[in-house]
Amino acid sequence: MRNKQDVALGLMLAVGAVVAAVPGHAQPVDTGRIAAGSPNDWLTYRGAYNGWNYSGLDQINASTVKDLSVAWLHVPGRSTRGLQSVPLVADGVLYYTGSYSRVFALNGATGQVIWSYFPELDDMLVARQTHSPYNRGAALGQGKVFVGTVDGRLIALDMKTGKVAWDTKLQDSQKLTVGFTGAPLYAKGTVVIGSQGGEWPGRGPIYGVDAETGKVKWTFLTVAPTDEEKKSWGNDSWRTGGGGGWMPGTYDPGTNTLYWGTANPAPLYDWSGADWKTSGARPGDNLYTSSVIGLDIDTGKLKFYHQELPHDAWDFDSAVGEFVTIDRDGQKYIVHPNKSGFIFVYDSNLKVKNVYPIVDAINFVKTINPQTGELVGRRDFAAGKQAAPLCPAISGGVSWNSGSYNPKTGMYYKIGNEWCITLDVVKTTPVTEPAAQLNIGANFKLVPPPEGQIYGHLDARDPITGAKKWEVRYPEPPMASVLSTAGNLVFVPDSRGILHAYSADTGGELWNHSDGLGHQGGIMSYAVNGKQYIAVVAGFGGMVSDDYAPTFGEPYKSMPRDDGILVVYALK
Amino acid sequence: MVRFSFAVLLLGARILGHASAQQPATANAKPPVDVPQLFATTCGWCHSDGGRVAGKGPQLMDSQRTDDFIRTRIKIGKEGAMPAFGSALSDTDIDAIVHYIRALKPEQG
Repeated sequence: MRNKQDVALGLMLAVGAVVAAVPGHAQPVDTGRIAAGSPNDWLTYRGAYNGWNYSGLDQINASTVKDLSVAWLHVPGRSTRGLQSVPLVADGVLYYTGSYSRVFALNGATGQVIWSYFPELDDMLVARQTHSPYNRGAALGQGKVFVGTVDGRLIALDMKTGKVAWDTKLQDSQKLTVGFTGAPLYAKGTVVIGSQGGEWPGRGPIYGVDAETGKVKWTFLTVAPTDEEKKSWGNDSWRTGGGGGWMPGTYDPGTNTLYWGTANPAPLYDWSGADWKTSGARPGDNLYTSSVIGLDIDTGKLKFYHQELPHDAWDFDSAVGEFVTIDRDGQKYIVHPNKSGFIFVYDSNLKVKNVYPIVDAINFVKTINPQTGELVGRRDFAAGKQAAPLCPAISGGVSWNSGSYNPKTGMYYKIGNEWCITLDVVKTTPVTEPAAQLNIGANFKLVPPPEGQIYGHLDARDPITGAKKWEVRYPEPPMASVLSTAGNLVFVPDSRGILHAYSADTGGELWNHSDGLGHQGGIMSYAVNGKQYIAVVAGFGGMVSDDYAPTFGEPYKSMPRDDGILVVYALK
Repeated sequence: MVRFSFAVLLLGARILGHASAQQPATANAKPPVDVPQLFATTCGWCHSDGGRVAGKGPQLMDSQRTDDFIRTRIKIGKEGAMPAFGSALSDTDIDAIVHYIRALKPEQG
């Protein structure tokens, strides 16, 4: 059976590659085409299933980038908490989403609007939500555009017309106050989307939905899906929940495996002290929170997993972070960043092959064993004010912005954040009934690391060994994704609103331009009629960036947090 | 010590709040909100250090806003910045939060 699938997939990949070489010739976006990763298109959240966030185009390169200028702009309107999405492109049409799950289809060469879709949301519910109303992107497949909503729906639109093909209510958002902000993933006739859920008393479901009909095929609960995992939540604490796969994972056609990351358990900060296996708010490992999981995409059944942080007591999700697939010396590796600032390297069965940190401000553990992934010298808190700050901060040593792997340089380009928080852990009554409440379990404030100032950095590293080749520093951590290209370039949209282009080899800055608003979404590249474009969203605001004005002052103090713009660049 | 003071205030707030709202006491009445815990679970994500310093949201300690302004903001929120808690918290709860805010002092040590 597997052999037949492989043969069929091989044919699909070959067809996809040929079709993609003919600009403007629309063919269905399917699994084979997304896996092939045509350079003219950007068919899924991170470009292709390999998770590289990489463009094979090289018209814009280290020599020509000096002539890069704005080709066209698009203003989506009502950009509450900025723009956080990654545009997609298929056959010269650019699709992107804004706050409130507004969806636009634009001519990729001119920006002309082909269609737009503004879903009617439950405004009263949205007003009650904390992590809302931003949207981080769409998925393409089977002639449709798929988008989630903060009121718990997954919607399919016709790619050509924007008309609703189906609209499925997946989540009881009235009860849980959470829905979907992350992009869905399309693969093999299934649309997969994960719920928000690290801070709420839900069980963080991931849904597999039939792309044609909108019917739910399967649901995977990231919190104690069976009685067996409930044993890892002492005192029935699985009821306080958490989990949630709020960012998209990826798919491996070769093994029919869906890879996904899950969020932290609730409350975020436990008061157990060192006896976390038997005492505190949620005694035990708390499966499958702060984990990476491999599911059969057809059934949603768990194939394997690795819990990156057993009994996460620091809010360091595994839901953030790309799954970068790399073949090296005949071995397949999957590279996955954890919010703690550690990068995990796995084989395709999620067996740990290496672990390395990319930030200095880490004190929640002494280290993580690079052979086994075991946490060494973990710091578990008792209730009360902690003498030393917790590093990294709640916003993470890495955040949900994607890094980029460049097969030409062999380097992995990733943003690291150096910051900490003071922490006063509070023993709270278990929150098992959702209201408007989150379930944090502490009071805290953002502070610099004990060794110095808050800052962010772009690292160029070997993705497997973690060896660093070069670094670029920023006074405030960049919160947008990174793009690298075959033109020997790395693009970093920074938080102040400057888009930087660096030499992928050396890190030397070659070009920059202000987009006028802080970046905290995606950047990608595509081509129409032989011309390469770089598209980036600008627009600031949200659960991480809202800290920037009180922490850093200007330009964040005067920067709007309800505005956004899509900026598209090309050579003059 | 600080928490004890809040508890006393909150108890006062409960009595005053229930009296002013003229809500009948029933066996199934929702227990009063524990404001310090509410900050530790929910409010503190944005109002840092229990509301003592600015975070994503403004510093609440020594706020120059009127009680009515604070009550209204808690109830109906502010788009893109502050969730509306009017359906989750009673008027009595909100009064207790206002009392908590007014009693906030810098932490010792």
